[in-house]
Amino acid sequence: MSRDQLDPAAGGAVADYLAAVAEQLRGPAADRFLITEELRDGLLEAVEAYQVQGCSAQEAAAAAIAEFGDPRMVAEAFGPELAAVQARRVALGLLVTGPLVGLAWIAAVAANALPPWRHQLTGPWLALPLVGLALAVACPALVLTVAATGRLGRRLGGGLARRPALPPTAAALAGLAAVLADLTLLAILGSQTLASPGSLLWAPVVVAAGASLTRLSLAGRAARRCLATRAALS
Amino acid sequence: MKAEVLKGHLDALLLATLTEGPRHGYAIKEALRAGSGGQFDLPTGTVYPALHRLERAGLIRGSWSTVNGRRRRSYQLTAAGRRVLSEERSSWREFAAAVTALLGDSPWPAQA
Repeated sequence: MSRDQLDPAAGGAVADYLAAVAEQLRGPAADRFLITEELRDGLLEAVEAYQVQGCSAQEAAAAAIAEFGDPRMVAEAFGPELAAVQARRVALGLLVTGPLVGLAWIAAVAANALPPWRHQLTGPWLALPLVGLALAVACPALVLTVAATGRLGRRLGGGLARRPALPPTAAALAGLAAVLADLTLLAILGSQTLASPGSLLWAPVVVAAGASLTRLSLAGRAARRCLATRAALS
Repeated sequence: MKAEVLKGHLDALLLATLTEGPRHGYAIKEALRAGSGGQFDLPTGTVYPALHRLERAGLIRGSWSTVNGRRRRSYQLTAAGRRVLSEERSSWREFAAAVTALLGDSPWPAQA
């Protein structure tokens, strides 16, 4: 049965049900769309099965909808999955971009022979340990997120099923740690520039600052979304 | 039968419905219901999240196709899924044998 062949009233009931589920799903938009597409196919299969049993189109739609269950319950059942998928993507994104941003900053510091390159932490560079603190928080959080949301998660005894809030919390924490690292590095650079303008080799500095600004924006947004998804978990 | 009764067994039961080949979500739910003589009649909408979880765990693999003008996602067992299903079956046989020995109609072994 294609969408066009379904009785308009029955099709409307199916569409309303899917809209009610979609409204309560929280997580990446693309995944939410695919979930509703999959549910639509299942619902139409169920409608068809009831029609074969002799129900009218409207009766079949009502029976299929009842069989699928309350939209809120269905959306809540998808919550841990969507949260895990979102957290995993955020974690993998941070794991890939982290070393690149780090390399850009090392290049900028090396090219300008800035204090850390001379094994000195002076002036604004005294704040550099904050970056180390951010790394110390982000690295285990990222490893935990990736491990808990992948195939290893099942081998770990299904702990994720009992703690669905863990992946989005860990991913959000890693994202906030990345924000702290980027803000610290940008603040140090700003102070360094004010202290000795004109003495910097700008190309590597601009690349590093651009990388941090981009990641700062993306990591902050990702952390907010993970926290929102976590808050929606029942 | 309520969904709570299936807790801990749902994954293996879903995997078992795929031993004969790929199925889409509604067909899996129907296979579960029909295969249990109507005992396991879960809200269909809650079967789909379980399938997504099994896919993320690498036990089944989903793929999209177009059927009757609409998109359909079908699932099939992976090698890891077959292995886990085999382990679950062995474990269940041992458990069922032990429970039957204790709760069956025949006298307890200690009294025999």
